[in-house]
Amino acid sequence: MNEYCVEMTNIVKSFGEVQAVKNGHFNLKKGEIHSLIGENGAGKSTMMKMLYGMYDFDDGTVKVNGEQLTKIVPKIAIEKGIGMVHQEFMLVNELTVLENIILGFEPRKGMRIDFEKARADIQEYIDEYNMDIQMNKKINQISVGEAQRVEIIKILCRGAEIIILDEPTAVLTPQEAQQLFRILDKLRENGKSIVFISHKLDEVMQISDRISVMRQGNYIGTVNKSETSEAELAKMMIGREVFLNIERKAATPGEVVLRVENLWTSGEKENSKIRGINLEVRAGEIVGVAGIDGNGQSELIEAITGLRKVEKGKVYLDGQDITNFQPKKVREAGLTHIPEDRNTRGLNRALSLKENIVAVQVDDKPFAKGMLVNNKEITDYTTKLAEKFDIRPRDPEMITQSLSGGNAQKIVVAREVSIGGKLLIASQPTRGVDIGAIESIRTILQEVKEEGRGVLLVSAELEELLSLSDRIVVMYEGKISGRMDASEANEENLGLLMMGGADTAKGGAA
Amino acid sequence: MKDRKVYVVKWVLTVLFALVIGAVLILMIHENPIDAYVALVRGAFGGNLKLGTTLSNFTPLLLTSAAFAIAAKGGAFNVGVEGEVFLGGLAAAYVGIYWTWCPKPLLIVLCFAAAILVSAAWAFIAAFLKVKWGVNEVCVTILMNSVAQYIASYCVSGPMSAGKANSQSPDTLVTLPKIMKPSTLNTGIFIAIVVFILVWFMLQKTTLGYKIRSTGTNPAHAEYAGMKPGRITIIAMMISGALGGIAGCIQVLGAYGYYLDNFATGLGSNGMLIALIARSNFAALPFVSFFVAVLKSGAMGMQQSTGVPKSIVDTLTAVFICVACMEMLFIFKKKKKSGKSEVKQGGES
Repeated sequence: MNEYCVEMTNIVKSFGEVQAVKNGHFNLKKGEIHSLIGENGAGKSTMMKMLYGMYDFDDGTVKVNGEQLTKIVPKIAIEKGIGMVHQEFMLVNELTVLENIILGFEPRKGMRIDFEKARADIQEYIDEYNMDIQMNKKINQISVGEAQRVEIIKILCRGAEIIILDEPTAVLTPQEAQQLFRILDKLRENGKSIVFISHKLDEVMQISDRISVMRQGNYIGTVNKSETSEAELAKMMIGREVFLNIERKAATPGEVVLRVENLWTSGEKENSKIRGINLEVRAGEIVGVAGIDGNGQSELIEAITGLRKVEKGKVYLDGQDITNFQPKKVREAGLTHIPEDRNTRGLNRALSLKENIVAVQVDDKPFAKGMLVNNKEITDYTTKLAEKFDIRPRDPEMITQSLSGGNAQKIVVAREVSIGGKLLIASQPTRGVDIGAIESIRTILQEVKEEGRGVLLVSAELEELLSLSDRIVVMYEGKISGRMDASEANEENLGLLMMGGADTAKGGAA
Repeated sequence: MKDRKVYVVKWVLTVLFALVIGAVLILMIHENPIDAYVALVRGAFGGNLKLGTTLSNFTPLLLTSAAFAIAAKGGAFNVGVEGEVFLGGLAAAYVGIYWTWCPKPLLIVLCFAAAILVSAAWAFIAAFLKVKWGVNEVCVTILMNSVAQYIASYCVSGPMSAGKANSQSPDTLVTLPKIMKPSTLNTGIFIAIVVFILVWFMLQKTTLGYKIRSTGTNPAHAEYAGMKPGRITIIAMMISGALGGIAGCIQVLGAYGYYLDNFATGLGSNGMLIALIARSNFAALPFVSFFVAVLKSGAMGMQQSTGVPKSIVDTLTAVFICVACMEMLFIFKKKKKSGKSEVKQGGES
């Protein structure tokens, strides 16, 4: 009996002229969790989409349960017991959880759908895996984490024995991720085989049995979890040593550059999302904002940057009252901003690299020559920044639509950091980017601080906050639940404050 | 370069496909499609009158399609170009008829200025409502088309009427010189071409053009970057209105020499269709405009010299638009070849 339920060897796949996978190898033992890791664009998702039949493979062999498959389409993959949870969930927003799960595979009673049976079947899975799912809610009423669990149940109901998860934790809070891992452990106990695609090394080390690494479409190697370390994996992914834990330089804080006084603002759904926030950032320091997503961090940043109306309170930048200024005026006062969502706010994906690089400076000399755009200056400047910040490819005319997450984010960082100014707001600056880009973005933030600018850093990654910040404030339900110097902070006390442990919070001035 | 080649090939295929469907329709009424198409081409190009008529049809279409396209680039769907053509024409006629104190060369300039101002102001209403209160500009502009048309009809039937059997105004004091007589082609075609190039240049080479493209493709980003997307959308709509006004002015001063009731019917909607077919790509607009103009003028010739009715050409135009908008065919083909758009997803992780 073959111990492998999936064997992919010598896989080649090209999209047009781009070779996404040059020599792909991957095998999966029965009942293991096998992580597939690599930087953005390494070919991980492409490999698995070929296994699931979403792409054809150009060359190579794929065996599932010992049987060689020459042509795979998703229907065949599902029949062979393969299920995939995609990065973008394939759920119908307007239908309930129950309806989504049985969609296409409805149990029937005569002409009608047997909802009772479906409900009972699904409840079994929910109990078995201790999932927190309400079957009667519509998809647009549930959280991202819950939607992901719905996806998992959906593929279990279709009899999947091999489960592929494509970067499942990218959209989850740390707590939700832990919950997901408990489910994955349970699935493994029950004999399911799991492919876990990720570029987060700590998660990979926590959850996997074996780990395969890909780099630029090439298979680099497979290691057992017990015989490797994060450092070794990072080296395999990047091809050299990486230093994520940037040595924090001591801050020499100067004048106050940002002062937020008793700020109130509303969210999309809630009237007072931010309720009375006080905050200061001084020149030459990094102030970290911790908190689980959705506790008002986004609204706070939007209110400061003029993108959301401040209802009460004041925002001062370098002593100047900028409350409810238009974004342009806020920028003129010396604020630069790396927004949390590079695809909607940070970049215009329909425009070229050079047009994105000068997006906030189109009216300024030397990029504008009267009413005209000074193409030569813009191209030169773009080439210079692309070189300095290692944006690939270097082509200024390139439309940014097709850039990977890391390179797209580098454009935003390059643009905002190069403007100068007094304060840099960096919101989730390394979310969804590969480890090489994380390293360089963190180094850049450190440099900005050393140049004597103030940095307000919002991040969901505690490890990022701890390694960069001089002071940390924690937000919980629109308020600050605690503040501390970075030297006193650790994952435990921050985690507690993130969950609202206000009692233990220190009320120090920040 | 490769993209451009694909683009051209796609267009040739689209045209051929539409012609084949047209041929099938012509066969169904027992006529010879080849004869019909030959007659159509003769009707559009055979002789000064016919070629002149084709170019005369082309002139306003170039402007109205650009009008729709520029609004689309700025993030608004301006169905109101037709109303702007009507009112622009009316304003030009008013100035051209009644401002008798004015020296003639200056009067022409003032006619255009009046047309631009009135039409831009008309477009501003819908744009302002959209930006300020989120009122859907499609509804507003459709409704305002009727309003504009009736205002103009009232004027030329009442206060500005020439008192003839047709609803029309008195002759204007100035006209744009005719070329290729006896067709209605006039020097307005050069004005249209120059204006078109200016707008295109503005869109590609000026900071305003950059902001319009940025706002139209991603208003959230434009806002973040400090561009005031609402204001940009309003400006794009007003430019759109101004282009409609220029088209109206050229028709009144050039093609007719007076304001003829309902002269603009179809100019706005055809311009919109052209822009939709060309996906608001300024490089493609002149070609599509010309093609539609050829169909329009060729249809008359075809009806006269064969038994094929003019309405077949309208059907053909409709088929052509359907095919051009039907990316499905080509997307299907692309999928087989694993086109470019999938690289970004496949390459993402």
